[in-house]
Amino acid sequence: MDFTLIKERAEKNWKALENLRQPLIQIGMGTCGKAAGADEVYVAAKQTLKQMNLLGRILQVGCIGTCYLEPIMAVRKPGGPFIYYGNLTAKRTEEILLAFLRDDDPKPEWAVCMMGEGSVDGIPRFEELPMIKPQVRIALRNCGLIDPENIEHYIARGGYSGLVKALQMKREEVVQEIKDSGLRGRGGAGFPTGQKWEFCRKAPSHQKYMICNADEGDPGAFMDRSTMEGDPHAVIEGMIIAAYAIGANEGYIYCRAEYPLAIKRLYIAIKQAEDYGIMGKRIQGSDFSFNVHVKEGAGAFVCGEETALMASIEGNRGMPRPRPPFPAQSGLWGKPTNINNVKTLASIPVIIEKGAEWYASIGTEKSKGSAVFALTGKITNSGLVEVPMGTTLREIIFEIGGGIPRGKRFKAVQTGGPSGGCLPASFLDSPVDYETLAEAGSIMGSGGMVVLDEDTCMVDMAKYFLSFTQLESCGKCIPCRWGTKQMLDILEDITCGRGKMEDIYLLIELGEAVKAGSLCGLGQTAPNPVLSTIRYFRDEYESHIKRSHCAAAICKGLVKAPCSHTCPAGVDVPRYIRRITEGNYDEALSVIRERIPFPSVCGYVCFHPCEDKCRRSQLDEPVAIRALKRFAADHAKKAASINQKVALPSGKRVAVVGSGPAGLTAAYYLAKTGGHAVTVFETLPEAGGMMRVGIPRYRLPKEVLDAEIEMIKQVRVEIKTNCRIDSVNSLREQGFDAIFLALGAHVGTKMRVAGEDSQGVVDCVSLLRDVSLGKEVKLGEKVAVIGGGNAAIDASRTALRLGAKEVTIIYRRSREEMPASKEEVEEALEEGVKIKYLIAPVNIYRQNGHFKMECIQMKLGKTDASGRRQPEPVSGSKFEEEFDTIVTAIGQIPQIPEKMGVKVDRGGVLHADPDTSATERVGVFAGGDAVSGPASVIEAIAAGRQAAISIDKYLGGKGLIEEKIASPEDVTALPEMSEEESEKHRPPMPVLSLDRRLEGFEVVEIGYPEAIAIEEAQRCLRCDLEPE
Amino acid sequence: MSTMIPATDRKKAGTMSLMINGKKIKALKGMTVLEAALGASVYIPTLCYDPDLKPYGACRLCLVEIEGMRGIVSSCTTPAVDGMVIRTDTPMVNLARRAALELILVNHHGDCLTCTKNQRCELQKVAQYLGIEQENLDKLRKGTQILPVDKSHPAFDRDHNKCLLCGRCVQACEEIAAVGAIDLAFRGYATKVSTFGDKPIHDSICVSCGECISRCPTGALVPKHYIQPTDHVKTICPYCGVGCSIYLGIRGNEIVDVQGAKESPVNKGGLCVKGRYGLDFVNHQDRLTRPLIRKEGVPKNVSTTDIHQIFREADWNEVLDRMAQDIGLTIDRHGPDAIGLLSSAKCTNEDNYLFQKFARAVLHTNNVDHCARLCHASTVAAALAAFGDGAMSNSISDIDQAEVLFVIGSNTTECHPIIGRRIKRAIKNNGAKLIVADPRRIELCDMAEIHLDHFPGTDVALLNGMMRQIVEENLHDQTFIAKRCEEFEPFLESLNGYDLKTVDAITGVAGEKIRQSGLLFGKAKKAIVLYGMGITQHTTGTDNVKAIANLLMLTGNLGRKGTGFSPLRGQNNVQGACDMGALPVVYPGYQRVDHPGVREKFEKAWGKNLNEKPGITITEMVQAAYEGQLKALYVMGENPMLSEPDLNHVREALARLELLIVQDIFLTETAQMADVILPATSFAEKDGTFTNTERRVQRVRKAIDPPGEARPDWEIIAEISKRLGYPMDYQSSAEIMDEIARLTPIYGGINHDRLGRGGLQWPCWDKKHTGTPILHKGQFTRGRGKFHVVLDRPPAELPTFAYPILLTTGRILEHWHTGSMSHRSHVLETLAPESRVEINPVDASRLGIVEGDVISLSSCRGAIQTKVKKTHRVRPGQAFMAFHWKEAPANRLTNPAFDLQAKIPEFKVSSVKAILTVLERAVEDNKFLTALAENPAGVLASYDLTPEHRKALVDGDIASLEKWVGPLEERLQMWLKVRLKQENISEK
Repeated sequence: MDFTLIKERAEKNWKALENLRQPLIQIGMGTCGKAAGADEVYVAAKQTLKQMNLLGRILQVGCIGTCYLEPIMAVRKPGGPFIYYGNLTAKRTEEILLAFLRDDDPKPEWAVCMMGEGSVDGIPRFEELPMIKPQVRIALRNCGLIDPENIEHYIARGGYSGLVKALQMKREEVVQEIKDSGLRGRGGAGFPTGQKWEFCRKAPSHQKYMICNADEGDPGAFMDRSTMEGDPHAVIEGMIIAAYAIGANEGYIYCRAEYPLAIKRLYIAIKQAEDYGIMGKRIQGSDFSFNVHVKEGAGAFVCGEETALMASIEGNRGMPRPRPPFPAQSGLWGKPTNINNVKTLASIPVIIEKGAEWYASIGTEKSKGSAVFALTGKITNSGLVEVPMGTTLREIIFEIGGGIPRGKRFKAVQTGGPSGGCLPASFLDSPVDYETLAEAGSIMGSGGMVVLDEDTCMVDMAKYFLSFTQLESCGKCIPCRWGTKQMLDILEDITCGRGKMEDIYLLIELGEAVKAGSLCGLGQTAPNPVLSTIRYFRDEYESHIKRSHCAAAICKGLVKAPCSHTCPAGVDVPRYIRRITEGNYDEALSVIRERIPFPSVCGYVCFHPCEDKCRRSQLDEPVAIRALKRFAADHAKKAASINQKVALPSGKRVAVVGSGPAGLTAAYYLAKTGGHAVTVFETLPEAGGMMRVGIPRYRLPKEVLDAEIEMIKQVRVEIKTNCRIDSVNSLREQGFDAIFLALGAHVGTKMRVAGEDSQGVVDCVSLLRDVSLGKEVKLGEKVAVIGGGNAAIDASRTALRLGAKEVTIIYRRSREEMPASKEEVEEALEEGVKIKYLIAPVNIYRQNGHFKMECIQMKLGKTDASGRRQPEPVSGSKFEEEFDTIVTAIGQIPQIPEKMGVKVDRGGVLHADPDTSATERVGVFAGGDAVSGPASVIEAIAAGRQAAISIDKYLGGKGLIEEKIASPEDVTALPEMSEEESEKHRPPMPVLSLDRRLEGFEVVEIGYPEAIAIEEAQRCLRCDLEPE
Repeated sequence: MSTMIPATDRKKAGTMSLMINGKKIKALKGMTVLEAALGASVYIPTLCYDPDLKPYGACRLCLVEIEGMRGIVSSCTTPAVDGMVIRTDTPMVNLARRAALELILVNHHGDCLTCTKNQRCELQKVAQYLGIEQENLDKLRKGTQILPVDKSHPAFDRDHNKCLLCGRCVQACEEIAAVGAIDLAFRGYATKVSTFGDKPIHDSICVSCGECISRCPTGALVPKHYIQPTDHVKTICPYCGVGCSIYLGIRGNEIVDVQGAKESPVNKGGLCVKGRYGLDFVNHQDRLTRPLIRKEGVPKNVSTTDIHQIFREADWNEVLDRMAQDIGLTIDRHGPDAIGLLSSAKCTNEDNYLFQKFARAVLHTNNVDHCARLCHASTVAAALAAFGDGAMSNSISDIDQAEVLFVIGSNTTECHPIIGRRIKRAIKNNGAKLIVADPRRIELCDMAEIHLDHFPGTDVALLNGMMRQIVEENLHDQTFIAKRCEEFEPFLESLNGYDLKTVDAITGVAGEKIRQSGLLFGKAKKAIVLYGMGITQHTTGTDNVKAIANLLMLTGNLGRKGTGFSPLRGQNNVQGACDMGALPVVYPGYQRVDHPGVREKFEKAWGKNLNEKPGITITEMVQAAYEGQLKALYVMGENPMLSEPDLNHVREALARLELLIVQDIFLTETAQMADVILPATSFAEKDGTFTNTERRVQRVRKAIDPPGEARPDWEIIAEISKRLGYPMDYQSSAEIMDEIARLTPIYGGINHDRLGRGGLQWPCWDKKHTGTPILHKGQFTRGRGKFHVVLDRPPAELPTFAYPILLTTGRILEHWHTGSMSHRSHVLETLAPESRVEINPVDASRLGIVEGDVISLSSCRGAIQTKVKKTHRVRPGQAFMAFHWKEAPANRLTNPAFDLQAKIPEFKVSSVKAILTVLERAVEDNKFLTALAENPAGVLASYDLTPEHRKALVDGDIASLEKWVGPLEERLQMWLKVRLKQENISEK
């Protein structure tokens, strides 16, 4: 039949569908939809229509790209727009249809968006969805909008017009058009498509082949599948045009058998194309004939490599062969062959139809057109997206993808699947195109984009991708078969704590050798995930090797339970939590005490990194580990938890400068397990350091701290308060064999803002210290606190308690970037503190007796090396505010007396070896905030432990500070856990009422009552007991 | 873009110059970079490269950098281009090479000192070149995978732990052997060379040719119990007629290794299982080492095999004297024609020449024949008649040039494996089309365009049917026929009776298939017919061959490259034995004994009057012995007691002889009946020549000393001759060849010294002639090719009610002829330890036979017991069995009826019946069971059964049956149950 007639009919039918007098329902029935339950939705929709006695039509369409919303249904009443509903169940489907079609209530609260003419209040337009807005839909132009099993839908939307146009062009004109469009192979390598066609077109042969490579096999990639499922004709039309251009009469679509739906739809589409005279003999009356066969592959990743793919079609083992000869000269059965990827082919018809110029206008200089990505991983809106080349990673991940779920931090993005690489946050603002990604050590690949958050271990990630390529290596060439295995073995060792530092070099060297030496693309790219993670996340490798530490608490070989692994001091969390479930609080406390001398303090104030990694959070919420610790400490007979044994005197003397958590922890272990005579020197009148003068009382009561310091004194630690030490030499002279500098960071950082030295501007460290030490402190009524850390929160809440009427925190970044702990921020907000984001002070001055602060509005700009976005001032946005007092809380640095005689690093901190705490001076060690800058109590305790080990070794001991205090646990006697743990939320921490809080410094958190604590402890999933 | 050019075509392409490491070198166009470098003596390490195989590019050691190419490329796969600038020693190249090598080494489990390949290992060589540092290896993780060594094969072991996966074994199996028994399997680290289904190699389709073994660069594939030879001697394989050149690896006096000679135009280095692993018979303990004389009074028909009970050892003088005396007596008493001589297709040309000379000049008889009578006598007769020459018209290498290959009556892959693989490769690589005509679905059928499974013995009808189609479609070569042939018209007319319908009825092959074959063959510009015993061993053998000759002449497929008449000769020197006149009617070179001029020439040369009466054939000798006319038989290296048809008859005939002399290397079944046994030498212990199936005369060289007192055949003959008053004073076999050359025009230019490089194909008229690869160029040897009218005749024996199964006999890959050699080869015997008769599962099921059952096969001439192999390769109603087994000698069953022209027996068709042996034993004295076994349903009708008996039968109630007929063996009980159920007798 003549195409004009076909098209007229198709358009007429499509128009009829658009003007349908009955409701029209579209249901996404791609594999993603079906996997999410689209079949039940379909049945429900059908039944509901029947039940209502409504005539309506249901169309099965492909995936529209918003996979996170599956199953998706769009409902249109005659004359209205399509309204899209997502995450449907059968019941919800019924409810929506009843409400909308019967009661005329479109249920905007359940709707996602709408599409087409007309509008409904409260429902955004599809095109305006944050996920959709930045997209261009070229390859995916029809996906989700047409019935993929109906060729007329495709034709009505412009399908096969490109082919008809191409058939009227000369073959070389078609090739030229594609060359001019700048289209590059979307399979990964990005070779210019037109050029590839030209090679094949010019190869002399009567028999040529056109192959569509649909052997999509990367983990996390489903672009090709969705395209074939949602718009198979686009691929076929692209193939026919390509075949015409190169002069092929025979075509193959090589698609893995794991894609049954795609294959089914391809078969249907081919049959329809034949029936419509679009494929087969003398297409549309031209002298060009073309037939397509579908070859179902066995799911070997290597068959994505074109020579292996051809071997597989020929019936041989899918193994690549070296090139040359290139397929364009000698391909399938030795004949010239052209191979293109699904997305490349799906783009062809539109390019022909709309012209090369149009396509070339999209994208960047060297990368034209659009790129399709399968956005997966730790991303809110997972799905299929198509964006213009050159879109930044940030736009894709944070705007289209909606950012990282659960408030976790972005860590890296993996592009190009197992052949690609991992890019850290500093690349977020890089445009996505072939060159940029390659330069950064990754590749465009076929479009897999896996987003990784802070809970991803990069070594483990590299291992995962490498294990995939290793398993999928065809085994033909040595570098790929054994090189990837060798690298994998090394990674395995590293993730099990058996790695050596030289392994990193070995990995790089092997990686380069495998890349250079492998026969095909699989091996040539397999090391990329390893090499790129070493390039950008080398510290994670080193921390696995040197400290057996996996920051993401993922690596099974190192991590028994993520909580205790994440705890800087390594407290055996699951074990004490189990003791709590048994009601044995003494034992619970003993378990905690085995690692830290400040269990109570930690129970009150620890910032609990353990909870961030608690596996329970994947089910509902993390176990309230800190609260349970406090409960154990509060309810145990303290003395019972102490192992009274003190080591025999060693005859050595140790001076500890500073009585904060680092100093006292080191002192405790040096005295108790090392037998050394320890003297702690404290400048302030009371011991405890920041625990005493940095943490307000309403968080940590004085008595709790006093009690634990008292216990430390009991192991023969002498604490000299009001005793300032200015030089190491003086201590040497006093006969100390070793010195531990734990000076803390007690000096507030300057803002470098004019007027910050004015009266009325106080720094937060001094404020908190004065309050803690009982000095009288006066603040005005209107207080501003500058900063976004925990200190800023402490200062603001303290200010309220000191009588300030209005306390405002001013922070130059946004809430996302705020380093203060979330709980603290929330409590502060509850208590009435105001927080103003994206504002920075520029000038402080007095005018007319008023204390004024000039501020400027900020906006977030480019990502810096730390992965955070740099705030930039918005020009012309200055404004002024009046305050009575301004508290600066933007950071702290240690105060190191000049005579001390130790090296100071950038940022004013002490220099010490991160693994041994040793300074450059023999016998002098340093740790805690003075070295790390302001950190947490638990990190300081960890630093104290590390110093104690090093100092003991230095003094001739073995550095054994481990204590066995708790009695052994019989894990076999534990009650069984249910196989399927059901959701159970963590109980809120009981707190003081608001008015009582602001009356003074009474502790805000009341602590769990016993019954609740035991119940909460039972939520622990006992990861440490998981069988290997 | 340059492409690779096959090595053979390169010289024409010209040269080019390249820069390698700054040095300018010349190379032939079409070479790869690696070949160019190696050619210019620039070493590039490789492990997967093999000049015989297609470039593979897996080991990644031959990597080089080439200006203008991205990264580093494998030189073995990259075509060299004029002006290319190549570097083989850049840092990147070295990094990649070293990494690959180190990865190999950490995954290579095994100790060099205990490895068979030590010092011959290519990995060692590469490691030495690249240099290894222990420190670097220590950094790497040792491979964890330890796989079990596959020791299932008797000849070699596969140790995956030393395998690099270079793929050479896989490629060799596919490209050289054309078998494809192995391939890479699994993925990633688990990838390994595997058989289909990862079964042990012994259980795979491996044909044990060992091509893989010789190509393995490491100790992954090694021969079992390898002993390194200290010497290598080039000679010719003693098994089939292909005539592969081999290097015998010698250590002491033992053959410890065999390699194919790559320079040989015949096998190009290739060997089959027999050639590579079957030569240990030479050093077998059973070898005859001293002359033996039958003890007084020991009858001929003794069943013992204890040699000392039958024979006593004697010294050579005593034996030779006694022989001379006995022969003299026989001649005196009965005349010279009372003596028969059986020459040997296993012996050299020189041995054969002397043996027939001995018969004719010394004994004055033409009663000399050899086993060609049993294989290609019909070929010789028919081809002499049609063309004037009885041999293969073209060369083996012509197979590579043909468009169509027509294989009829030849199981080439088993019987002529090196030609078989050439056929397969021609199909795979050159796109040749194959037609197979064979009642059995032989291996080649798997690659055939058309398989014509005609009924045995209907070849003439089949061929005539094809030819009629060719003529009907006007595809016959009228110019060729007119210019070069004669008597076409009567032939053409004779085809009239062979319309498709008639042929279909005779042959059982669908007319359309015959038509398609005719068209395929007729349209081909170059076509070859290859055939074997399936054509010749018929009472219509000569007609069959004539029909083939007709087909070739009809289509003009003679006298050109890529065409031809290809009888595949069976034994290593059957062609030579014929050439040497070990036939009753001709002197050497097919010069007739009844031709006066010829006789005169020989009388003059030999200095004796010669007998003008043609002699009798071996088949006739057996009959003559049976009837008492033949009194003495001198057998050199033949074993009629297994190779003749109707063995019971042969046994009786031989027993009736007054004198049986057997000269052999083993105590064969025939030797056991001998009066005198002379220990002779094997091929490895003597000098001489063999002539292969393509008329190629090749040198056989002495590699080791004969065992004990064994002596070369020609020396023994000369010794007797001397004692009979005719001294033969040859100093060497070369001297004998010179005499042959003088008397035999077609061997006129043959001389031992001229045969060094690949031998010469006769006719070779004089010392300057370089041999004749193609016969009948321009004109036929006889002048014009003669068309014969041949009409189909049925075989002499057809299945009957009593003997319903049609048995054909033949050979299997692993064994040879009567097995005297192959059964004494450890590998061959282990691979195929026992006889099997192949029957179709339909018949098996009808007879209640399961795989592995022992059955009795009997014809009206005798019976044997053998195990059963069920296979669809034979059609229902037919059976196939090899004749290699003395325990189950198939020739006890075969029909001695012979072709009247060529006197060749009809081995291929005899009628037999099969019965489960346990059943046979049971029925020996029980008529009821006999009847039951043959016709269960009939028993119910014909026997007067009580209701109780009837019920027991219908129910398959064995206990009751036993009460009635006596105890039944377990297998028999099972058989009865199955059988009774099958017949469904209750319904009848």
